[in-house]
Parts: sequence; structure tokens; C-alpha cells
Amino acid sequence: MQPLISLKNIVKNYKHHRALDGIDLEIKPGITGLLGPNGAGKSTLIKMILGLVRLTSGSGTVLGHRLYKDARKIRNDIGYMPEDDCYIPGMSGVEVVQFAACLSGLPQVEAMRRSHEILDFCDMKQERYRAIETFSTGMRQKVKFAAAIVHDPKFLILDEPTSGLDPEERESLLKRIELLYRDSNKSVLISTHILPDVQAICDSVVILSQGKVRLHRPLSELNATSEPTIEVLLREDTDAFIKQLAANGLSHQLGASGRMTISGSAHKQDATDADSDTSADADTGSPVGSLTDLVWRSALDAGVTVESLRPAKNSLEAIFMDTVQEAARADS
Amino acid sequence: MPIHNLGYRPWKEKLTRPSARWRYISASGIRLAQKSPWVKRVVFAAWLPVLYWGMGFFIIGQAMEGKVKLSDGRNRAPVNVVVDEFQKQLQKANPSFIPAANRRVVAMALRKQFRKIPKVEQVAAALESGDAMVARNRVWCWLLMTFLRYPQGILILFLIGTIAPALITRDIRSKAFLLYFSRPIGKLDYLLGKFFIPATFIMLVTTLPAMALYLFGILMSPDLSVFWSTWDVPLRILVGSVFLILPTVSLALMFSSLTQETRFASFGWFAFFTLGHGAWMAIAFSTAMRKGYSHSQDLASVMEEPEVKRWGILSLYNNIGDVQSWVFGFSSWQEVLPGMMVLLAITIGSLLVMYRQISSPLRV
Repeated sequence: MQPLISLKNIVKNYKHHRALDGIDLEIKPGITGLLGPNGAGKSTLIKMILGLVRLTSGSGTVLGHRLYKDARKIRNDIGYMPEDDCYIPGMSGVEVVQFAACLSGLPQVEAMRRSHEILDFCDMKQERYRAIETFSTGMRQKVKFAAAIVHDPKFLILDEPTSGLDPEERESLLKRIELLYRDSNKSVLISTHILPDVQAICDSVVILSQGKVRLHRPLSELNATSEPTIEVLLREDTDAFIKQLAANGLSHQLGASGRMTISGSAHKQDATDADSDTSADADTGSPVGSLTDLVWRSALDAGVTVESLRPAKNSLEAIFMDTVQEAARADS
Repeated sequence: MPIHNLGYRPWKEKLTRPSARWRYISASGIRLAQKSPWVKRVVFAAWLPVLYWGMGFFIIGQAMEGKVKLSDGRNRAPVNVVVDEFQKQLQKANPSFIPAANRRVVAMALRKQFRKIPKVEQVAAALESGDAMVARNRVWCWLLMTFLRYPQGILILFLIGTIAPALITRDIRSKAFLLYFSRPIGKLDYLLGKFFIPATFIMLVTTLPAMALYLFGILMSPDLSVFWSTWDVPLRILVGSVFLILPTVSLALMFSSLTQETRFASFGWFAFFTLGHGAWMAIAFSTAMRKGYSHSQDLASVMEEPEVKRWGILSLYNNIGDVQSWVFGFSSWQEVLPGMMVLLAITIGSLLVMYRQISSPLRV
């Protein structure tokens, strides 16, 4: 598969500070999460992809165009949603989107028609006619998202797209992003600090720290636990259930909101597809499926009702923290 | 889901040419600027002097044809009696002398009534020279030069001060830079787009009314020969407007690019304009006092003193006026070279600073 972004030994220095330190990265089509602590170089990397900052050294391509030298061609094919509020005071919401469309080359009338269509897609109603400086943070996020996709780009770069959104709006925006990938084949790079967003929609994750790529792997690999593990939520008291688990040789850990993580040390085998459906696993006799059987049996014997049961995943937060701390130790 | 929601649909139509992008930046900026009531007021006020100068075109034109009698403004009756008598004598002697006599009367009236206005002596001399074509050309050029220099030159100070300071400060403050530069446009497109916003308004209040005055003059003329004697005037208006627009807009936009606060950029613009001119006027007044000029004597004469003229480069307003007097054919290029160099330096310096400044928010 042709990579969307291919970077080779990218270095970017600002006076006395090295923002990017030998970045080698290949991003394939899909939804990629770009993670990193503050000052890791995420914004510089995005600006470099857009051709807004000149490289100190290194080379690369974005959508087949050369970095920086073909900046206009790259920007033609990219939709960028910046983290900061970025608007022109005095314009209404729909005018900002139209303006963005015109800057990307849509004819003026077509730009207006398309802006309305995209704002409808973003679920923005009559408030689109209000001056943008009167918008709430959530509405501004919608306008920025609409401006990023109005010219039908091949590749989207979204910088903190869900920051400032209420849970419902956040959910809707993530669904829209997924929809764009699934139905319209738009690849997406999401830079965010909100790890559940990455967990929810990304295919792969890039973790940057101190200007270097510390981790770049598919999310499914990261999520896979070292041994079959299941997350269970019970309706009743857990004591009897815990006793049954112990009797069946299973270990457990109580988590937040009453969830229990159960792992079976007797089933230490490769769990390559932790995302797969549990009932299917049970039928096919995979390690997770065997563990599920055992858990069901324990619940039955203990006489408790299982409210939910799903394969457990590695915590992205833990992976992120480990990666960043390891990077700090290695650099020191 | 809104009933109009068609979902996300691809868009694969033909894009506009890259050269159209900066024009869209200008067009949207003009639309935003014209929403300001102050801009509307200044533009309205800037068209009022057209009436006065239109009357000037009409009266001088009629007077050159002998259809209106001019006076020196003080001894109206005696002058008219003398003129009437003079014309009667000429009529008897040789009818072809009458137009020349009319022009002499116009020259006399201009000398008397507009003696404080620069270059009036050259216009009067052209009127007295005997060549009607040259005389008309000089009179029209002089009228248009004074139109651009006095009412419009001062009004654009306010017009630019109202429009330009916000143009880049606003983008820095609201971080709209990323809205522009994440699109396929370059710094030059941005710069051109921003430049043409105040430039369009300046043309609206200088070039357009000056052209309207020229057309009015042509339409009021007795025959088409007037067009052949004044064909260069529209070109002079255009070049004069360019010399007015380039340094002023570049300077105002440079101030705008230096700060996030529109009021600081406005202050910079007005301070540069008024302090420079004020300093030069102070030099002129001190020279006038030292040399014992009386109040009745023309300020224009003081301005012609070499030690005052030398410091004229301090005033942006004066430099523009000087260069325009060259454009309209009232000064030699050697006379206006220092002023022209200053305007060139202001323009290039401002554009370079602005070019660097507009990319600086992207570097961090």
C-alpha cells in the first residue's frame, strides 16, 4: 500500500532548539493518531507536512508530492483543522467556510453551495448566519471542521478536533470522521491529547516525544494483551463470583466503576485478535473464547448476572506513559 | 439530522486558477471593510470635493471661452469694466485675439485668487503663452493635481487609518493565518490580497473621481479637439494614483503586521504621517520667522526656500505631493528625486518588513 506520508530523517531546528530530531515515518491510509506530550514536536510536524516551515535537513513526500517544494500541491490535497480558534472577525460561520473553500480554489457561488452542504453535514443549523466571534467553542470547532473538509481533500489533518466539545458533540464528530474514512476514503491524521478519541477511531498510533518517533504501530497490536483477558461488569455482589474465579484458576483485578478484569494464566497463548467478537471466539475455541467459557461457568456457579463481558485491551494511556517515560530515560 | 443534510459528497469540479485566490482575499476584505460606518462616511466625504472641482472645471472652461467673466476677487467691478473694454477693443482690431485675451484674463484671475496654491504661476504662464491646447492641458492637470493633493490627500489619511491597521492585526489576533496558509496560497497572494483592500478604497476616492472630473471636462468641451489636447491626463491620473497608493498602503500594512493590536497600528500610521509633516512644517515656520516673512506672504514661498525644501523629505504627504507634481508635469524629475527615493524606500522597506512579519506566526 502506497504511504500517504513518507519522511526520512527529518530534522527541524529553531535557533537553539531541535523540534524534530531525525523523524523517519511512514503513514499509510487510514486513521492515524498522533500523540505526544506538550512540546514533543507534533505541531511542528504538522506545519512541516503542510509546507509552512522549512526543513533543516531530511526529505519526504506527502501524497506523492515533495515536502516543502510542492507545498501548494500538498495543501491542495489536505484539509487542515487547526487547534487554535482561527477565524476572521466580522464573517458569519457560513462565510468563513465559503472563504476557506474559495482559498482552496472553489468558484465563489459553488463555494457557498458547498459550504451550506458541509455545514448541514456537520449538523450546524441557523447559527451559521451569526458572526463567528459570537460562536461557542463547540460551534467554532464545527466551523473549523467544515472549513477543513469543504474542498473535498484526500487527507485530513485534525489538530485537537474534539477539544472543548461536550460528550454528545464529541461522539458526533468522531462518527463523522469515521464516516469520512469509511464511506469517502479520506485518510485522517489526528493530533490529540484525548486518548479515548484515539482508542475509539484510530487504526494506528504514532507517539512523538522530544522530537523523535518513539512508537508507531497499529492500534490492534497495541491493544492486544499478553495473555487472554476479559472485562466483566456484574449486576450483583462480586464475592461469590471471585471465589468461583479463584476455584477455576483465574486471576482478577477490580477496576473503576465496578468493572473486573479477568485473566487466565493457564491460557498463555498469542492473542492476535483482541478486537474480534467474543461469541465468535467462544465458538472457535480461541484462548479468549476458552476464557469466556470459564467466566460464564464461574458466573453460573456463583449465581450472578453478567451485565457486560468483552475482551480487555491494553490501556493506551499506560502505553503512552510508558513510551514517554522510557524516551525521557533514554535521552537522559 | 437536518432535512437538508445530504451527507458528505465528493466535489471534483474544476478549481479556479491560483492567480484568482488573492483577488478573493481582496474581495472579501473589501466586503468586510465596507460594513464599517466610518468607512462609508469617509468615502462619502471624499466624493464631496468633486463638486467643487467640477465647478472649477466648468467655470475655467467657460471663462476660457469668454462665456463667464472672472474677477480677482477684490475689485470685481473695475476689473470687469477693464476686461469688457479690452475685449471690445480686441473685437474691433482682430476677432482671433479674443480667445487669447480670455486666457489672459483666466491667468490673471488664477494668479490673484490661488496665489498660495503651488504651481499656479506655471499654469498662468501656460495660459498666457498663446497655445490654447497646451493651456487647457496645463489647467486640467493643475486642477487634478490639486484635487489629488489637497482634499483627497488628506482624506486618504483617514481612510487608510480606518481600513488598513486592522487588516493584518486582526489575522494575527484571531490566528486566521492558519486559515490562509493551510490553503494553496503563498505569502505573496496574501500580501497582494491585503494590499488591494485599502488600494481599492483609495482608487475609489482618488482615481475614480479624478477620472470622473476628466470625463466631465471632456463632456463640457465645445469640440473633440479638447480630447486630443488632454489625452495624457487619464494616464497622469493613473500614475499619480499609483504614487499615492504604493507608499501609503505599504506603510499602513507594515504597521498592521507589527502588532496584534489594531489601535497600535493606527497610532503608528497617524503618528508617522503627522509627525513627519509636523516636523517639516515646524522647520518651515521657524524659517519664515527667522527670515521675517509676514503673514500676508505666501506659505508657498517659504516652502520654496532651499533650507525648507531640503527637509521636505520628512513629510510623506509632501513627498507624495512633489512626485505628483512631476507626474502632472509641473516639476522636473531632478527636483522630485529625493522625495521619490524616500517613497521608494518606504515602499520597499515596508513590503520587506511585512513579508517577513506575515510568516513569523507560522515559525513558532
